Amino acid sequence: MNNLRNLNWSIIGAWLLLAIIGLVAIYSATQGPVSEFLPDYIQNNFSKQLVWVSLAVVLVLAFQFFTPRSYMQLSYLFYGIVMILMICTYFFGTEINGAKSWLRLGFFNLQTSELMKIATILATAQYLTSRRDISAENIRYAFIAVMMILVPTVFVILQNDFGTAIVFLTLIPVMLFWSGLPYGVSIYIVSPALILYLTVFDWKYGAIATVLISALIFIVQKRPWLTFTSLITGIITVIGVNVALTDILQPHQISRITAFTNPAFDPTGAGWNVIQAKTAIGSGGFLGKGFMEGTQTQLKFLPEQWTDFIACVVGEEFGFLGLGLLIVTFLFLFLRLLKLAGNHKHPFAQLVTVSVTAVFFIHFVINIGSATALLPVIGIPLPFVSYGGSAFLTNSLMLAICLNMEFHKREFSIYR
Amino acid sequence: MSNSSNRIRTSILALQVIMVLLCLVVLGRVFYLQIVQYDVYDELGEKNSIRQEYVDPARGLIYDRNMKLLVDNQPIYSITITPVNFEDENIPLLAQLLEEPDSLINVLVNDAKRYSRFRTSKLISDIDFKAFSLIQENLWQLPGIGHQIDSKRNYPAEMTGSHIFGYLREADESDYQSNESIRLGDKIGKSGLELIYEEDLKGDLGINYLKVNALGQSLGRFNDEKNSIAPVQGDNIITTIDADLQAFAEKLMKGKSGGIVAMNPNNGEILALVSSPEYEVRKLAGRIDKEYWQFINSDSTRPLYNRAISSRQPPGSTFKPLMGIIGLHLGIVTPQTEIYNSGYYIRGRAYKDLADPGLYNMESAIAHSSNTYFFSVMDKIATTGQLNAWSKLAKDFGLGVPNDVDLPSANRGILPDSTYLDRRFGKKKWGLGDVLNFGIGQGLVSASPLQIAQMTSSIVNGGYKIDPHLLKGIEKADGSIIESTNSSEKIGWVKDEYLETVKKGMRGNVLEGSGRYYAGIPGIEVSGKTGTAQNPFGFSHGWYTSFAPSQNPEIVVTVFLENAGWASISAVPIASLILEKHLKGEVEREWLVNYVLNFVPKEDNSEASATINE
Repeated sequence: MNNLRNLNWSIIGAWLLLAIIGLVAIYSATQGPVSEFLPDYIQNNFSKQLVWVSLAVVLVLAFQFFTPRSYMQLSYLFYGIVMILMICTYFFGTEINGAKSWLRLGFFNLQTSELMKIATILATAQYLTSRRDISAENIRYAFIAVMMILVPTVFVILQNDFGTAIVFLTLIPVMLFWSGLPYGVSIYIVSPALILYLTVFDWKYGAIATVLISALIFIVQKRPWLTFTSLITGIITVIGVNVALTDILQPHQISRITAFTNPAFDPTGAGWNVIQAKTAIGSGGFLGKGFMEGTQTQLKFLPEQWTDFIACVVGEEFGFLGLGLLIVTFLFLFLRLLKLAGNHKHPFAQLVTVSVTAVFFIHFVINIGSATALLPVIGIPLPFVSYGGSAFLTNSLMLAICLNMEFHKREFSIYR
Repeated sequence: MSNSSNRIRTSILALQVIMVLLCLVVLGRVFYLQIVQYDVYDELGEKNSIRQEYVDPARGLIYDRNMKLLVDNQPIYSITITPVNFEDENIPLLAQLLEEPDSLINVLVNDAKRYSRFRTSKLISDIDFKAFSLIQENLWQLPGIGHQIDSKRNYPAEMTGSHIFGYLREADESDYQSNESIRLGDKIGKSGLELIYEEDLKGDLGINYLKVNALGQSLGRFNDEKNSIAPVQGDNIITTIDADLQAFAEKLMKGKSGGIVAMNPNNGEILALVSSPEYEVRKLAGRIDKEYWQFINSDSTRPLYNRAISSRQPPGSTFKPLMGIIGLHLGIVTPQTEIYNSGYYIRGRAYKDLADPGLYNMESAIAHSSNTYFFSVMDKIATTGQLNAWSKLAKDFGLGVPNDVDLPSANRGILPDSTYLDRRFGKKKWGLGDVLNFGIGQGLVSASPLQIAQMTSSIVNGGYKIDPHLLKGIEKADGSIIESTNSSEKIGWVKDEYLETVKKGMRGNVLEGSGRYYAGIPGIEVSGKTGTAQNPFGFSHGWYTSFAPSQNPEIVVTVFLENAGWASISAVPIASLILEKHLKGEVEREWLVNYVLNFVPKEDNSEASATINE
């Protein structure tokens, strides 16, 4: 056992800081004057979260007694077990807020898709790094790796949880890229998402992005066929989005997109959340309105303010200082994790650490992007800050794995 | 190996750059919202949570002349809905709490949605307190549902007075566009005193600033109380109505169709005003009963129509005293002039006269209602080219001119002159035959019961023109009372001797004429004049205008009964009882009350109506 001083205390510090910000915000969002309008089970969220955080601290520290080898070997088994739980969830799950993602385990509702994130990362990383000759450049290995990610994604979509599905999909380019996928191809895989995002605003932006991305791919890869494919894919995306917007999507789906591009169009309907979220953050100003003083929060103008819109609570009550601190803390955490990954010699450790960072990052971008109306409202929690036992424990566990691999870095390299 | 570690370094760098850039984008966005656009969102946030709420003032009360409370306010409990926050799955719960069927609530919710999805409107009003408290307790389960206490008019007195008070209704678009102090949904006076004295009764709106949450639920007053404005209660109206007399008159008119006006002839104060059939103003006070509203609007008996002031009927023989005064003034007859009635007045054709044949002077002509006498007077007026003078003189008694009574839709009636007849029949297309009938109050001459009461008042008060009115005074919020001024203006050309002559005739009508059966009251000298309005559709309409005591009259009562046949047995007993009630305080002739209550018009006298001499 190494000396505990060798643990990466800066990462643990950032993690605890985020958890504390989260606890403060959850307290305000559920125990403040707003509690009058909330049912009891939501008012309990703060004390429950306090239990999860305490439990997570023990878990993270206790996890350091494991060696990386153990979970490397168990990763496929773990993947299989969690996959079965996912299937059980599909049939016997409990529905909360429209998503059937929870499995009732007596005292605790387990959100199996959260656990699946760890399982998928570990198993896919194990697969992609178990043999020296495996590289994502080989189409067969890449295909299997993609399938290992896509199968749980399908189940997450069946659970009606699109936010989490996006997180899984993000793993594909990140993990393949790390496993040797050429830069150009990596850019190509990511490009439709970016083009789609821009086309929703205006098809011209999408078209410009298509041209620029294709040009970038040509500069990086110098392969005409890839550039051409990229161009075609971009054009199909732009046209597809336009057709979807005009002909395929149902009115309520379109209204959600309109609410994002132009919330003032229907301020009390689909645009409500967007406007209320922006108003909460905007009215916080530099210093904020003060703890439990935010009118948007305390008068319940924000939906799901203890999970998806928790950033609005921080922004309203603690202002630019509070929200800025939150963002900077996240950035610090991401950069420290990437540094950790770079220091690893073992590709498994690198891939897992990078994947975990990517998962945290995509959560962060979508959550804050939704709250600040940079993105359409996609319900997804902010790691370590939002209320949610499964999410907090699994996110902490992912962090614990990263810490563990660094903690055992010397022994770990022996297993190469 | 070096190639691979090179790639790792590049990859880490790429990811670092992406993450730093996106974090900067997010931070920039937050900076933009919180620092650059702070003012915009700060205002938005404030608007969100502070709502201006109007506080309705208590509407002014209405009293009778003895300060008996006639109209006050009663709290009613209403449920409001903001459809955008409401979930349809809560309809069964709501219906259960309100103890109404799901289907009704469904309809009401849909009505509210059609009005506005985002604005709060009243879902159901005037619910009982138990249901109201139940809703209040369960409000947390019913997002989008709110509650409010407002008030409705309450009528504690025995009298109904629907046509006096009038009803309130929610202001419609034309109301709030014409007056900026009216908001959509405000209840405003739509008829009667409630309409005429709306400005006095309504008071001033108060304003509260409330903190509200996203569900629109009020969280109490916003702390900045100095901005709040307290509502100012409306002024109270003291009417000239005698509530007991009114209730009695209403009772007598039950089941009959017509109008009654009882007034003080000396100052125009209306003591009772009845129009029957009468709608039930109490039923229009709270939640509008749509069926009832449709009924009173479409029923053939027209219960919303105020017969006491709006009907326009030939006054018949009640017009004869005024004819006498005009004839005396124009020098056509003197009190002593006698005219022979042969049973017919022959002028181009024979006009029947049911009065016994013989000689009549003015007094007996009025007492026995001789048509010949007044045909003869009208004949001379017309043939000496004084038709317009006649018309002008009669208008001084309030006929054919707008009436200033403080109720809406008073009819001005018709008192023809040559201009009117030219317009009506065409120039030179009318002749003596059209005019003679005016002499006995038939033909084109028409008036409302109020106008006949006003005419009678001027005859019996010494020739003073008075303005009939219902307002005795206005009681301000501070308790001070502003008395309404009674105008009375002497009609210059009227001499006391004219009045004395016709008053004797009217006294005679009670003693020996058509009033001899029912008009007299033991111990009180009563005078009056009956009349019949021709009705081509059925029984004649009966008139009776009367006053008492005959010397120094205190009260004039005019009764008009539709399709009641002979006035002497229908309208006369009603007026007589009202006079008795007012002058004696109570009615001793219980048998007569029963007679009136059980009265049914019997004989069809419509054929004889053209020559009726009542």
